[in-house]
Parts: sequence; structure tokens; C-alpha cells
Amino acid sequence: MVERKIKTVYDVVCPFCGTLCDDLEVDIDIKEDSVIEVRNGCQIGTKKFFSSNPSGHRYLKPRIKANGEHKEVSWDEALDAAADILVKAKRPLLYGFSSTECEAQSKGVELAEILGAILDNTASVCHGPSLLAIQDVGAPLSTLGEYKNRADLVIFWGSNPVHAHPRHLGRYSEFVRGYFRKDGRNDRFIIVVDPRNTHTAQIADLYIQVKPNEDYELINAIRATLRGVELDAKEVSGVSIEKIRELVEMLKLCNFGVIFFGMGLTQTLAHHRNIDAAICLTRELNDHTKFLLEPMRGHYNVTGANQVFTWNTGYAYSIDFSRGYPRYNPGEFSSVDLLIKDEVDSSLIVASDPASNFPAAAVKNLFKHPLISIEPHETPTSAFADVVLPAAFAGIECEGTAYRMDKVPLRLRKVKEAPGECLSDKDILEKLIEKVKEKLGE
Amino acid sequence: MVEIKLKLKKKPELPLEADIITPDNFVGKSVADIKKLELYYGKEVVKLGDFFDISGKSTDINDTKIIIDGDLSNVKRIGENMSGGEITINGNVGMHVGSQMKGGKVTVNGNADDWAGAMLQGGELEINGDAGHYVGAAYRGFWQGMKNGTIKVKGKVGNETLAWVNGSKPGKRFPKLICGSAGAFLGIHSHGGIIIVEGDCDRCAGADQIRGAIVVKGKVTKILPSYKKIGEVGEIELPNGEKLTGKFIEYSGDHSVDKNHSKIDKKTGEISKSSNGRLYIAA
Repeated sequence: MVERKIKTVYDVVCPFCGTLCDDLEVDIDIKEDSVIEVRNGCQIGTKKFFSSNPSGHRYLKPRIKANGEHKEVSWDEALDAAADILVKAKRPLLYGFSSTECEAQSKGVELAEILGAILDNTASVCHGPSLLAIQDVGAPLSTLGEYKNRADLVIFWGSNPVHAHPRHLGRYSEFVRGYFRKDGRNDRFIIVVDPRNTHTAQIADLYIQVKPNEDYELINAIRATLRGVELDAKEVSGVSIEKIRELVEMLKLCNFGVIFFGMGLTQTLAHHRNIDAAICLTRELNDHTKFLLEPMRGHYNVTGANQVFTWNTGYAYSIDFSRGYPRYNPGEFSSVDLLIKDEVDSSLIVASDPASNFPAAAVKNLFKHPLISIEPHETPTSAFADVVLPAAFAGIECEGTAYRMDKVPLRLRKVKEAPGECLSDKDILEKLIEKVKEKLGE
Repeated sequence: MVEIKLKLKKKPELPLEADIITPDNFVGKSVADIKKLELYYGKEVVKLGDFFDISGKSTDINDTKIIIDGDLSNVKRIGENMSGGEITINGNVGMHVGSQMKGGKVTVNGNADDWAGAMLQGGELEINGDAGHYVGAAYRGFWQGMKNGTIKVKGKVGNETLAWVNGSKPGKRFPKLICGSAGAFLGIHSHGGIIIVEGDCDRCAGADQIRGAIVVKGKVTKILPSYKKIGEVGEIELPNGEKLTGKFIEYSGDHSVDKNHSKIDKKTGEISKSSNGRLYIAA
């Protein structure tokens, strides 16, 4: 048997979902510099650590596409080609940023400003509608610790944490023992509102099956009932009026309630208006008891992307620098809309894979124009990119800051070295900014 | 009226931001000067003369009429912030046409894209085709949308038309929209808008409406549960004093909003008879 030398890194922050668990233990084989064991992590988080190990689809050197095929080149050559594409473009798009650290994101803002580009992050296809609603009607939010210690009524609306945020239930919202919730799960009443009987719904105390795309009407009916209005209808969105009344009584009688909402609210018909109504409901419930709500953010640092963009430009996503100052208008400057209308003439994708997630019409136009991808391993986007700049995994191979879904910043740890010539996203963007400045004669 | 004619040479590939095309900017300028006006094409600054053939002249703002020909579906912000005069667009036009205008008239003989007449402060916008989403709506995060003026759309309007519209009876501001048919969330968060739909209307009309009147002369996909039926009426008096005749079913709402002016009396349980917060649907 070959003897292995193992190093264990403790208190590692998991760079996968917005829950940002900070208690992982990672075993590293020192000789091979690879991850051999991850403890405390969930299935999806653990897999991300293993995916950083050397494999056939990890990029080790920068690549440029020539005659339809990628060939490995030096950093200097690749950066030069990338800067060339960006400087020549009249309307470049910078997209992604949600799966990298805040320092790289702020470099992205700098680059966008220099280029007069459009800057967007993945919020525009996930929780962007929540941000729109918050801008319209405000939001009563808190940190996850409050919910853990105080909440006795937890609603999951259009979110399925059992699969999407597996450790959220155990750490903050369902099974965990809190300061005022000493008996853990038994001290909490869990309600799930979802069109599908999800695995989260199956472990809830009350499951309300709402018709698809009719969440707005249901929230509307709950709000009216809360105000003491007798409704004309017998049934709203597949839920009987009696059940709505029962639910409203429950909401009013709890000590501390919280609504965790996911893409089931933000990305079904009515989008931000669902959130708008949910926020208004939460606000009105505070006349009777304490109630808060929290978006279940997906990417581990999409909250950070919104924060970094906001403190730099004033806006969280869909930002246009073409006039030299930031302008904001989702629907006009958001990536999917721009790509479908074919309004960009080159793109830089950082730590994201739009080719797998965007509508086909948008992806087609994305591939039509020059494309640069900063990516650790092969994805449908990077496979078609003209320039691929290999990145180190933030939170595994380099340090940085990330924001948890409740906007608490945590320091990511480095557990191993990046393979080959990979650089951190921040270093790559810094070098790219230098090259672009050189070409612009600044 | 003195006319200035603009003809688009070729449809731009990227959006052209033409907020410079307003009577305010053209007044008192010769054709040569107008050709030199700057606008944004992507991140490049270009001259108006690069994209348009221009002829005519202009003297006084209220006497100025701009006529634009060509496929302008990629030209944005025409007539933004204008305060007088007229613009006639013969063809489809891009986003933000006539947004935030304070006076004058814009006529579109074609379809308009999203945000047409957004946050209108006064004047008239007429679209003789379809319009996109957010017609006359408030821009993101603004709590006061269209404040005055009239928008007429012959065809259909998209979703969230006239969001956060803000009229006032004491202030004598009556923002008004007349359209052929409407998408979802018509007049959401309305604070005193007047909306008349000649045809059908999608779900959630008048969501979160606090004041104002919405009249639908066709069918509504679904009425919000928080709207209460009052009864049938033969004549409607709109907040601006205008009267409409015809058989309508009157609803009050939106009763899910705390600030609603059509309050329910706690003692009698009756709905306040004030003219605010009403939805009328053809019987």
C-alpha cells in the first residue's frame, strides 16, 4: 500500500450555494495536491471540492480558438487576444460573477467602466425579480441566526431546500435547536406552498398546493383576508377560502414567522410582482406579530455580486456603462434580453455557464460574436469560446470574500494549490484591465 | 407649423440612443447644426447626420413638427423629456418613446417597444399600433409614475401598463390611458389613474390599486380575489368628471392594500361609496 501524507483543513466555507456552510473539513493529499475527503458537506457541495481535482476537463493553460479548434497558448498571447476583442467591441457584455469572490467582482466593475460595457450577473435569471420588488416596496429581512433562534413558523414558498440548499434546514430553518427553540423541529411549524409535492413539502406540517403561476392571487387573497375582508370567491388558486382563513389565523398567532422564497416565486409568471405581494403581506403581518422574509439565493456569492455592484455603481445588476456613467434597467440591459435582440457584439463570461441556462435564441446570438470565457473547466460556454482563460476555483484554490444569502460576508479559504498555469479570477481580470488600458492608450 | 424631416438612412445594428430628437433640441438651429447634434451608438458618440437625412427648419418650439421616416425599431428614447411641439414617427419605434415628456405630442404610426411614455408628466402620446410592456409605467424603484397627460394606443399594450400611476384630484392631474386591449397587471399600484380598455384584459387588473378607475369594455381573464362586487351600473363617472354610459359591473378594490381609500366601514361593514379604487367590467 502506498503511504499517503494527508493535511486536514478545518472550518472551510463551502463555495456552492447561498447557505455558505462554514464548518467543512477537507482532507488534502499533500503529494498529489488533491481533495480526498470532505466532511460535514452536503452532496452538492462535496462534489464541487472533488471537481477541482486534476481531470480531463480542467483547463491548465490559456487557449485560443484557431480554425475552429482550441490550441494552448501563453498567458500573454491569450490576454492580448482577449483585450483585442473587448477594445474593438462597440457594446461588450460582461456576465457571470456569481460563482467567484468579491475582489474579482469589483475588478469586473472596473473593467466594465473602462470599456463602457454592459455589466450583469446571474441574478438577472434568478433572484433579479426579488431585487426589483425590494426597490419598489422595501423588504423586512434579517440574518439567518435570528430565524434559527426565534422563528416558530417557517414558510417555504416556491423553494425546495431539501434539494437546492440541503443543509439550510439543518443549520437555520427546520431541525436545528435555537436559543428560544430548544426542541428544534418540534418547536417549529413548517408550511410549504408549492405546486409540486416536493421532498420539502413531504416533511412539512402543512402543505398547500397552489396552482402553477397563480401565487399572486393566493397572496392577494391572504392579504385581503388578513385585513378582515370577506372574499367573494370560494376558492383561490386551488386553495379553499376556509383553508386560507385557517392559514391567516396561524400566521397571526405565531411568535416569529419567516417566509423563505425561491425561484418558484421569482421565475413563474408575475415574477417580481409575486415578491412585491409577498413583501406587502410580510409588512402587514407585522401589525399582528413579528414576520420577516428571506430570498433563498442560489449561487454562493450572487448576493456578493449584488452587493459589490451596488456599492460601486448604485445598482445590483443589469448595468450599462455605455454613456460613461452607470444606468440600470432590467429588460433593457439584462443579458437575456440583450442577447435575444442581438444588441451586443462581444461578451466576456466570468465563472458562469450561460450556454446551459439561457434560452436557445440568446445562446445562438452569444456564439455569433466573439466570446471570452474565464472558467476552471470545460463547459458548453467555454467549449465555444474564442479565448479561454483558465481560472482557479475561488474558495478552494484561492482566498476571497463571499456573501451568504442573508448578506453576511464570510472569508473563503484556500485548501490547495491551483493546477497548471491557472490564476485566480481577480488576477486574470487585473491583467486584462492592464492590457485593455494599454490598448486604449491610457 | 414648421416641419423638420428626418429619414433614417439604414437600420442601425446596435441600438441608437436618440434622446436628442426633440423639438426642444432642434429649435432655432439650422439643418447643418442639427446634423452635428451628438448621440450614442453603443459606446460611440456619433452625429445625427450620420444616421439621418435631414431637411426643413425650426423657429419656435410650439411651432415645430418633426417627422421621422424609416424602421426605427432599434432607435430608442425619441422625444424623451420634450416639453412642446410635435413628433410624428412613420414606422416602428424602439424603447422609451416619449418617456418623461412634459408637453407636446408624439404620434407613432406603427408599433412601439417597451416603456413608451414612461413616467409621462404631460402632453399626449398616440400609438397607432401595438405597444410593449410598461407603457406609462414608473421606472424601477420610483414610487410616482405617470403624473399627467394622455396615452392612446390603438392596439394592445403589454404587461404592467401604468404601474405606479399617480393622479390627484386636488392637484387636477388626471393621467389617462385608452388602449385596445391590455396585458397582465394593468395599473398595478395605481394611485389615481384613469384606464379605459376597449377590448379584453389579462389577469390581475388593478392589483394594489389605491385610487383610480379601470374600465374594461371587453372580458377579463380573471378578477383578483381581493376585489368586491358592488353591483351593476348604467353610467360611470370617472375621477376627471368624464362620463361613460353602458352596462358595467362595478367592483371596488384593491382591498388587500392597507392604504385603500375605498375603505370598508368597521361598524356597518359597508364599502365606502367614494369614487376611488374602482374596476368596471362590461356586463
